[in-house]
Amino acid sequence: MPETLIETRDLLKLYGDKVAVNSVSFDVYGGEVFGFLGPNGAGKTTTIKMIVGLLKPTSGSVKVAGHDIQTQPMLAKASCGYVPDTPNLYAKLTGRELLRFVGDLYNLDRGQVARRIDELLRMFDLMNAAEDTVDSYSHGMQQKASLAAALMHDPKVLVLDEPTVGLDPKSARLIKDILRQLADRGAAVMLSTHILEIAERMCDRIGIINKGQLVAVGTMDELRTLDKTGQTSLEDIFLSLTGGTEETAIAEVLK
Amino acid sequence: MNTLSIPLTRTPDPRILPAVWKLLSLRLRISWNSFRHAKLRAKIGRVFVLLLLLGFAYFMFSMSRLLLGFIHSPEFVRYAGMDLQPLIASVPAITLTALFVGTLITSFGVLLQALYLSGDMDFLLATPVPIRAVFVSKVLQAVLPNFGLISLFGLPLLFGLGYSNGYNFLFYPLVIVAMILLALAAAGLSSLLVMLVVRILPPRRAAEILGFIGAMLGFVCSQSGNFANSFGRDIHISGTRLAGFLLIANTRWLPLNWAGQGLVALGEGHWLIGTLLLVATLGLASVAFWFTLVTAERWYYSGWAGMQVVARKKVTRSARPATVASNGIGLGLAHLLPKPVLAIVQKDFLTLRRDLRNLSQLVSPVIFGVMYTLLLLRSGGEPPAGRGEAPTWFMDSFRIVLAYSSVGMSLFVGWMLLSRLSGMGFSHEGKNYWMLKAAPVRTSYLLASKFLVAYLPTLALGLVFLTVISIMQGLSLLQFSYSLLAIVMCLAGMNGILLSFGVAGANFTWDDPRKMNAGIMGCFGQIVTMLYVPISFGFFIAPLGFAEFLNYPIAYGYLFGLIFGTGVALIFAILPLVLVRKRVERLGES
Repeated sequence: MPETLIETRDLLKLYGDKVAVNSVSFDVYGGEVFGFLGPNGAGKTTTIKMIVGLLKPTSGSVKVAGHDIQTQPMLAKASCGYVPDTPNLYAKLTGRELLRFVGDLYNLDRGQVARRIDELLRMFDLMNAAEDTVDSYSHGMQQKASLAAALMHDPKVLVLDEPTVGLDPKSARLIKDILRQLADRGAAVMLSTHILEIAERMCDRIGIINKGQLVAVGTMDELRTLDKTGQTSLEDIFLSLTGGTEETAIAEVLK
Repeated sequence: MNTLSIPLTRTPDPRILPAVWKLLSLRLRISWNSFRHAKLRAKIGRVFVLLLLLGFAYFMFSMSRLLLGFIHSPEFVRYAGMDLQPLIASVPAITLTALFVGTLITSFGVLLQALYLSGDMDFLLATPVPIRAVFVSKVLQAVLPNFGLISLFGLPLLFGLGYSNGYNFLFYPLVIVAMILLALAAAGLSSLLVMLVVRILPPRRAAEILGFIGAMLGFVCSQSGNFANSFGRDIHISGTRLAGFLLIANTRWLPLNWAGQGLVALGEGHWLIGTLLLVATLGLASVAFWFTLVTAERWYYSGWAGMQVVARKKVTRSARPATVASNGIGLGLAHLLPKPVLAIVQKDFLTLRRDLRNLSQLVSPVIFGVMYTLLLLRSGGEPPAGRGEAPTWFMDSFRIVLAYSSVGMSLFVGWMLLSRLSGMGFSHEGKNYWMLKAAPVRTSYLLASKFLVAYLPTLALGLVFLTVISIMQGLSLLQFSYSLLAIVMCLAGMNGILLSFGVAGANFTWDDPRKMNAGIMGCFGQIVTMLYVPISFGFFIAPLGFAEFLNYPIAYGYLFGLIFGTGVALIFAILPLVLVRKRVERLGES
């Protein structure tokens, strides 16, 4: 039985009267890539932020690597790596300084930090820009630097919010390969994406959130059985579960 | 590099004016919407400011009218012993020259922001709007606020002049026309300068350097008056010399003066010379604006497009690798601190140092300190004798207080530096705060690191000032040591207060470091520390005065001063941070 590395129970997040996330419960296991899908404003980023400890849930609980993010935040965060949707990084640090900073934040050994930095810079093809400040990086390079920072401490859990946005095909492929390798080594990878093709090809299981509620969780086969209309592609299942079929019909008419 | 070029239309594109109007009305719509959706308090505030500005314009008009009328009076002419009419006639030329130069300088930063850093260029250039219209609307948007501000002073002054001199009606509309055309020409030239600079420096770097220079110039200008008052008592600028200088400045050889001279000539009814001068100026201004328009739009497009193409190719100066020692933290301290604390301290020192916009805020306390130290040293360290009726114990106590003025100066400099470093310690993280929040860093470590980032440089600066002033004042070793301890402790207390207010008012949404202080918490922090400093320092120094007053050995004074002063400072250093601890855990969640 694989280890449960992300465990969310009845997550609720209110912004005033507005319900952003409502009673969301799911597990992500070690060794799997979990895709988290949903239309814009469905609550994906809010859920992810609650998982990594950036937002406090109104109620409900999150456990990362067995540690409650609210009551044992240090242990939970030490096991987790996070890549946000927008790579806001310290613009005036060089790539190498940024990674060293992250290594120190996670209390890594100095020698280990130096080795890891070189490994990651080489892996993400950032070695030539290692001594340049981050503000001179392109969006794709910043995205890669952000992922490198998340991997500095070799986390058991990696949470990524739209990791492939703005990346060229080569970089996107590199990131997909890395995520797969991480999962194969026993880590839990959770990623949100709008690109259904990526989710379909990469993810072992998929969760679909709509209007703050988790409407489906399972493997592709399980999702197919869940859908009453007998759709076979993830796009059709997604649209059917999130009410996007009306928009598809309109688009057809407009053609 | 292959510069992209666009075919420039030889004949005026009929779509330009409607497009300019469309873009400007869009900007107006955005401004109106932001007003409409603002809170009631903000709306009332804006209306109040507008009324205040109108009132100020009317005040300027009335004052200039009265003043100029008074200068015309035979009594004043008799009193002054000279005819001031030529001097008064030079006012329009000087005002319009000031408008031109002022617009040229102030537009630079605004145009840099509007043309290269506003973020809407991708959208605008992708739409079927002529590039010339985009450029014109950007220039107009950039120049309007500064033009309005300069006109607020210039227009009432010139209208007042026209009214008091009885100029004919043509003077008034032509003043407005001349002002607009000169401002446009100045803005056009400014835009050319912007585009030249952007070809050499990346726009963001240019904005940083400009911010630094602007802040320094503003600071020097604001303080030069104080400094000149204290040090320049021997310098006298007589009215006659000033008048002579203004008359020389109003030479006809300078084309910038033509508009003003032409307006005066027209106002006085000298039609031919007035028309010639004015037409020449307006023609030159129009040609200058047209030239800058044509040149700048070509440079603008190629420069902007080039920015996109060579974004990564640009030569970036590799940053000097950071070492513990290079960041000013001794190796000993590095071993003492937990790794995450040290990492944050190092990171903050690097980012503060590398962004010139931060640097301008950090240099001003040093300049202030140097200036006021010079003023302090000039006083000689002796209390004013007055009428000599004060009792001896009072004068002796006063001397003790003055002997510790070095501490006051160090605390003053420290207060200014801490207001920035500590008050905005958390805000400094900006949109990157997620990195700290997602990392396994304890709240106490976060607070400790931010405390040290503010405290270490402030302490170092305070010690420099203390040492210099102590040497100049000839303080004893005991007094110096006591002062040193007082500074170490008082600054710690001050830091605790400012840091806690910084947590309460943390703002992570800024793009420009100069705008990170959004809210009133920073002000509260400064007010509270203003109250804290005399209390804390008082606890150190009052026992010395009491010992003197009660004829006890001064050692008792030092002992009690140490106990009370240190105790109070420690309370203020720790208690506020304990109070905001829970808040730190929730930072960045709103």
